[in-house]
Amino acid sequence: MHDLPQQLANGLILGALYGLVAIGYTMVYGIVQLINFAHGEIVMVGGFGALTAYLALPGGTTLWLALPLMLIAGILVSTLTAVAAERFAYRPLRNAPRLAPLITAIGLSIFLQQLVFSFYPDAKKARVFPKIPGDPFSLGSVTVQRSDLFLIIAAPLCMLALGWFVTRTRSGRAMQATSQDPDTAKLMGIDTDRIIVMAFAIGAAFAAVAAVAYGLRSGQVDFRMGFILGLKAFTAAVLGGIGNIYGAMLGGLALGLAEALATGYIQHLPGMHLFGGGAWKDVWAFVLLILVLLVRPQGLLGERVADRA
Amino acid sequence: MTTTTAPLLDVTGVTMRFGGLTAVNDVSLTVGEGEIIGLIGPNGAGKTTFFNCLTGLYVPTEGAVRYRGTVLPPKPHLVTQAGIARTFQNIRLFANMTVLENVLVGRHTRTREGIFSAILRLPRYHHAEAESREKAMELLAFTGLAHKADHLARNLPYGEQRKLEIARALASDPGLLLLDEPTAGMNPQETRAAEELVFAIRDQGVSVLVIEHDMRFIFNLCDRTAVLVQGQKIVEGDRATVQNDERVISAYLGAPLESTTPAAPEDTQ
Repeated sequence: MHDLPQQLANGLILGALYGLVAIGYTMVYGIVQLINFAHGEIVMVGGFGALTAYLALPGGTTLWLALPLMLIAGILVSTLTAVAAERFAYRPLRNAPRLAPLITAIGLSIFLQQLVFSFYPDAKKARVFPKIPGDPFSLGSVTVQRSDLFLIIAAPLCMLALGWFVTRTRSGRAMQATSQDPDTAKLMGIDTDRIIVMAFAIGAAFAAVAAVAYGLRSGQVDFRMGFILGLKAFTAAVLGGIGNIYGAMLGGLALGLAEALATGYIQHLPGMHLFGGGAWKDVWAFVLLILVLLVRPQGLLGERVADRA
Repeated sequence: MTTTTAPLLDVTGVTMRFGGLTAVNDVSLTVGEGEIIGLIGPNGAGKTTFFNCLTGLYVPTEGAVRYRGTVLPPKPHLVTQAGIARTFQNIRLFANMTVLENVLVGRHTRTREGIFSAILRLPRYHHAEAESREKAMELLAFTGLAHKADHLARNLPYGEQRKLEIARALASDPGLLLLDEPTAGMNPQETRAAEELVFAIRDQGVSVLVIEHDMRFIFNLCDRTAVLVQGQKIVEGDRATVQNDERVISAYLGAPLESTTPAAPEDTQ
């Protein structure tokens, strides 16, 4: 177990990535009770938006200059895609049975994948994403890639900003009110359509930050990256208690830790040597999801949703 | 019609049908500046449906609702912006927000805060936020809830939840306040306090339209009272007019045979 600190660090970093994406699931669910299964693709288009910005810059631009521009481009693409999806795919189904928007989300997800696949030059192959150059940092026995610095800084900042926004601003309070009781919120003068758009937009902006972090970490983006990342983040959102923004981040961290620890240590348990290594990490993540759904379906920070549903 | 004589709220011939059911049938009603108007009727008479027609939740099948001379937009949030606020028969607070936050949400339409000035925390944001909080605290003091500002709404006792609903409604600076059974479930002292509160609200220049079953409350408060039975307004007028109207008596007491039963005293006081 001598590498425990390293495993914990890996888990937390991976978890922060899941948490950022999970925010998008949880915010939209909190407001319109829709599982936006296309959210993984919102991450993906953000990644391609950032990559496009990078490729458009003249060669030799330092990453410190490029990174903010990539981030802005990613956020723009993700946000516009999400807002358009809300307006044209989900809003017409606002009062339809719940299955309809859910199926629409899956369709939208395939649509966005194929759109990028068909129109982005060479999107079939994974596209190379820049990394933050330099040697890894060492802190005692823990080593951290430079590229992960982006996530280590961005994730807490995003969370603090969101927490502040939701509790301290007029729009944030309107958002809370809409999530608790949309009809009453309307009668308080809140334009709930705007609030819904806002929830999609904030989730998408976080998705773009996550996409850039993902690209920096893995050094590539590809048109299918949103699928497994989205599924993991959805797991994280459920784990934390869907509808709760702090739950999403907590669920992300918990999932990241569980994945890192299970991958690292389960093979050392007696009789489990066959289940070791990275090939099994997704299995552990979804085993965790199943366990949560069995034992605590409302999630870590979730409340009973029965009285709303 | 000149603005000086035009009523604040002018409802003309409002009908609300749900499929074959006519819940509100050709109801006209006016509320003038500074008036307190009562709306009574047996359960299921269409009172709350009528309120919903006034607040944009329902778009009336026929008829028009004018507020300060203009037809109300069919969206609830625009109605609130125009100046009509309401409370609910079954309390509908934001249970998981604090008392202060509930009132701040009520203030939504009267504050302008750009997202960007909020994100960048410009002075304008701080200014708007401080002003909202000050106004919200004033309203909490007005309704006697200032000491509970940081409590979660769901932890308030029943009577205080009703007061909070009123404070939240007043936060939108309404010209007309619609109260839907504000004293339901209250004891006599609380009801007295609610009366005082409604008078105080009127004295601040807000007109009030109130649905209530408590006749003493209605007749103490209201300048005029309208009676709704099976979706139709059968009479409107002062206390004597309403109390002596035979249709009202029979609507409330049923067939003459039952009018001698002792269940009635509260209604006829």
